[in-house]
Amino acid sequence: MNECGELLKKLGSLSAVTGRENRASEKIAELFRPYCDEVKIDHFFNVIGIKKGQSENPGSVLVTAHYDEIGLIVTEIEDSGFLRFSAAGGVDPKAIGAMEVIVHGKKDLFGVIGTKPPHLIPPEDVGKAVKMDDMRIDIGYDGKKAKELVSIGDMVSFVSPPQELLNNRIAGKSMDNRSGVAALVEILKELNKLRHDDDVYVVATVQEELGLIGAFSVTYNIKADLGIVIDVCHGDMPDAPSDETFPLGKGVAVAVGPVLDRRHTKAIIKLAKEEKIPYQIDPETGDTGTEAAVHEVAREGIPVILLSIPSKYMHTAVEMVCVDDVIATGRLAARYIAGRVKE
Amino acid sequence: MFDIIKTLAQTFGPSGNEKKVADTISGMLRGKVDEIRTDAMGNLICVKKGSGKKIMLAAHMDEIGIIVSYIDEKGFLRFGNIGGLPPLIILGQRVVFENGTVGVIWYEENIDNMKNVTLGKMFIDIGAGSREEAERLVKVGDMAVFVGDTVEQNGKIISKSIDDRIGCAILVETALRQPETDNEVYYVFTTQEEVGLRGAKTAAFGILPDLALAIDVCDTGDIPNCNPMAVKLGGGPAIKIKDRSVIAHPLVKDLLVKAAKNKKIPYQLEIMKDGGTDAGSIHTTAGGIPSGGISIPCRFIHDAAEMVDLNDVNNAVKLLTEFVKSC
Repeated sequence: MNECGELLKKLGSLSAVTGRENRASEKIAELFRPYCDEVKIDHFFNVIGIKKGQSENPGSVLVTAHYDEIGLIVTEIEDSGFLRFSAAGGVDPKAIGAMEVIVHGKKDLFGVIGTKPPHLIPPEDVGKAVKMDDMRIDIGYDGKKAKELVSIGDMVSFVSPPQELLNNRIAGKSMDNRSGVAALVEILKELNKLRHDDDVYVVATVQEELGLIGAFSVTYNIKADLGIVIDVCHGDMPDAPSDETFPLGKGVAVAVGPVLDRRHTKAIIKLAKEEKIPYQIDPETGDTGTEAAVHEVAREGIPVILLSIPSKYMHTAVEMVCVDDVIATGRLAARYIAGRVKE
Repeated sequence: MFDIIKTLAQTFGPSGNEKKVADTISGMLRGKVDEIRTDAMGNLICVKKGSGKKIMLAAHMDEIGIIVSYIDEKGFLRFGNIGGLPPLIILGQRVVFENGTVGVIWYEENIDNMKNVTLGKMFIDIGAGSREEAERLVKVGDMAVFVGDTVEQNGKIISKSIDDRIGCAILVETALRQPETDNEVYYVFTTQEEVGLRGAKTAAFGILPDLALAIDVCDTGDIPNCNPMAVKLGGGPAIKIKDRSVIAHPLVKDLLVKAAKNKKIPYQLEIMKDGGTDAGSIHTTAGGIPSGGISIPCRFIHDAAEMVDLNDVNNAVKLLTEFVKSC
């Protein structure tokens, strides 16, 4: 795999369940450091890479991509040693039966989400989905040991390390939105080859999966003239509506819609054409469900562009993206930042 | 403590109409704090000055209720909800308006299935014979709240509006004890929590604290055949891990656990699947405010009779006092 692919694999191996990103923030900071003038971690664990512009009177561009991932949270440790849990972020109970997990207790503990063997399922329950409240994590310990090592509120991440597939594709957990973080690093690398007037703040944000939380503090603390949000959009799947999904490998999806700044969006599409960077148009009629909705109304309002990387099977442990799309996203954003004319 | 709880629980104050509650609390804290002020949203902010960290403690003053939307020619009132009202549970309940007018909630009886009894199929009867007679007592836009005693029994408190007058009472009691600390403590009694955590947002922006806690109620998992939850009445105040509006900042959560352990105060850890608290709007205010919460385990939240354990309440005061001193 190319450099970007290897980076994405590294990012996909980190665990940063939403709300408890502190365990991964320093590792993200390390990835930014070689390309930035300064890297900071704020008190919510947003990781902020700052690259100064060459202008004497620079504007500021804020690029955000969240690095938290969906997971589970322990809600009860039963006397038997089984763990009850609920979702941290949007988790579909149908997609987690028989998953391998890591329980981040006093130490990392391997566990499995046990499911009932088909032999023992009563005929009336065959084909029925199991509710999350009826599932348990089995860490192999008895109750006493489990209560010693695990506490209510401990996070659980899925074990699904990134795997290379044909056609430059990678599948695994947390491609939503580590592929966006990989694009942030691509932007930084690209900017090191270009002249850019504006100060650029590249931020890996927290708690997006809980309601865009990290973006609130970041868009307040950094006064930006332009916001760029990088996240995933739905990849094409056989049983999904074609107007809401985008093929993998066909380039970055540039969002068009009421939340997105019209002038910047038009300009970045024009640039993609000129530079022959593969792109697709992503019509977003609503608030986009991304951090762009926060940028739009932060402080006096930040004009915002949304760039998305198509990802199949979103919010499962086998999310799939194409590395070429990540590179296209990084290149397009970097070129746009570098070519920005101050108004 | 019970007297404070009873006084506050019996004071009229649906969302947007919290002034009576604010006046009552001001009366209780006058002379006991360095400053008492009110902001544009009606939040009551009581400050104990200090040179250390700015700590915001928030409990909401508003309670759920109803708002009159239409009065028909026979004098029956149609209404909407203020905050989360479980429709079937309010049937047959008494409500009271600010001027003392009492009404009974009932429904259109020609409905086949009780599941279809939505608020739109309900009305309030205040005993009026005509629209004119009704309008002498109640106007469209007037709000009413549940009627219900505040009683103590078997170490439990049963009352209307425990959510969140219990939090207000805990803040009042903590402020009255005047914990010795250099920290600047903001006892904030917020408005409009039940309609979207609104008051806390502006209060937090005005104060910009270093840390914030919401003192509110949480569900329990200890009544027959209920949804699983590892919190029970009498098990100690619950330190918030997560609810639908917030995941507690790890630093705040750890400080609370440490405070409880230091003073050997019993505590539980709360993960509430439904419902939010003021911490939800505080933590995303301005540049982000590390926030958490102490919750009082409470049965039957948003019903006309809610129940908490007095030991949990007293232990919450202890925990809050220790937190303010130690952080």
